[in-house]
Amino acid sequence: MTYSYYPGCSLHSSAKEFDISTRMVMQELGIELEELEDWSCCGGSIAAGVSHEVGMALAARNVVLAQQKNRDLLASCSGCYNKSAKAAKALENETERNKITPILSQMGMSVSDSNTKVRNVVDVLANDVDISSRIKKPLRGLKVACYYGCLLTRPQELTGWDSPVFPMSMDKLSEICGAEVVDFRSKTKCCGGPILVPQEKVAFELTKRLLDEAKSLGADCMVLACPLCANNLELRQPDIEKAYNVSYKLPILYITEIIGLALGIKPGKLGINKHVVSPKPVLAKLGF
Amino acid sequence: MVAKKKCFFGIKTDRQVDGDKISQKFMDKVIAEGGENAAIASCMQCGTCSGGCTNIDRMDISPRKLILLLQRGEWETILKSNTLWLCTSCYTCTSRCPRGVRPADVIEAVKALAIREGIQNDSTRFNQIFVELVKKRGIVFEPELMHQYGGIEAMLEQAELGVKLALRGKLSPFPAKVKDSKIFNQALEKASEK
Ligand code: SF4
Ligand code: SF4
Repeated sequence: MTYSYYPGCSLHSSAKEFDISTRMVMQELGIELEELEDWSCCGGSIAAGVSHEVGMALAARNVVLAQQKNRDLLASCSGCYNKSAKAAKALENETERNKITPILSQMGMSVSDSNTKVRNVVDVLANDVDISSRIKKPLRGLKVACYYGCLLTRPQELTGWDSPVFPMSMDKLSEICGAEVVDFRSKTKCCGGPILVPQEKVAFELTKRLLDEAKSLGADCMVLACPLCANNLELRQPDIEKAYNVSYKLPILYITEIIGLALGIKPGKLGINKHVVSPKPVLAKLGF
Repeated sequence: MVAKKKCFFGIKTDRQVDGDKISQKFMDKVIAEGGENAAIASCMQCGTCSGGCTNIDRMDISPRKLILLLQRGEWETILKSNTLWLCTSCYTCTSRCPRGVRPADVIEAVKALAIREGIQNDSTRFNQIFVELVKKRGIVFEPELMHQYGGIEAMLEQAELGVKLALRGKLSPFPAKVKDSKIFNQALEKASEK
């Protein structure tokens, strides 16, 4: 199976470990990724709130690039995944397609009728492959809090996820890897990612709530699949600690990183050394 | 004239009970911007959306009420509401609505209309800068975004994090771009001129 891989802006910058670990895990599992040539930003949660047409055209552009290759589009970032899936659906609707097509044709692209599907890395790992028989290094004793956030699972009719409010796919993957999953009730509560810059205080409050719960459950780390969530939860964690005079030092890992470890891939090869909140306690617990 | 029906419970005052107040104009406007899936008219004011909303504690108008005001055409109140800028587009409301209304998409469309009608605040400014930069090169270059939004001050505030990212090879000193950024930009600029 070969996918057109869409890393998006974050995986080429602040979320490089997500990019590296996605590629390593997929390779290990025999799934080929071919980076989508000349991809562009999907517009995230922001573009459509400035102009619906611009937002949809941005996201649709990547879907159409994948169509031209006759391949399904695989996105790791939850935001890219969600917006691409939304655009793919819009392309099937006549009114919406008529808004998008003229913009894309001005870019010299033609929209075809191929049935390119948009997939997320968690979905593929949970549903298309059997990881259980490939576990070489079970993550014994590691307590993880699986955090899904918003765009990975919602709205359900777009993502087809197991549940929009209490999904289990990442929990199951973590269990298969041998980790102990804590009962993280806030697993689909929003971290405030899209409003972080203009409404920093509010976003910090929302993120703090998540860190508090994960910490109180005794989790060794939080596991997620969204670079925007990681931005709030990890990169800004020191700022939140300062603002509230608390200490978390909670490692935030991408699901592909912990799966990679369980598959026996060396931490360095997964990019784990690139984290800002040190993942050393997690690695130490696993005996690395 | 249609006789005014009383609400079954007779007490709820902001509940749309008689239908005669529905103003199609602004619903049409929002649907024209955000797509026909918004289904605003089918809202029955059950409040399920608000019950799960991420940021309801801080909003001056709940998502439920925003839909009601939209049905009634109280556009000015909607435009002034902080709900537009506190909504994180998390889709909890949309997932919960039993009537197929999509408050998240409705709010997204209203945001775009509000910006076009000249509403200005930190959020509109940030969102506009973000989109301008995406239109320019097709790929966001964060340092540039922070600089344009918050000036040197914001750059300095984020300097410590920037250094950490750079040391880990996560911050390229140069912006990336799509191949034919000029044509890309022109097409999106044209789409923005409405
Ligand atoms: S999308 Fe906006 S209105 Fe809906 S639940 Fe999330 S924050 Fe609330
Ligand atoms: S959940 Fe749906 S029907 Fe109920 S108030 Fe919200 S938008 Fe209206």
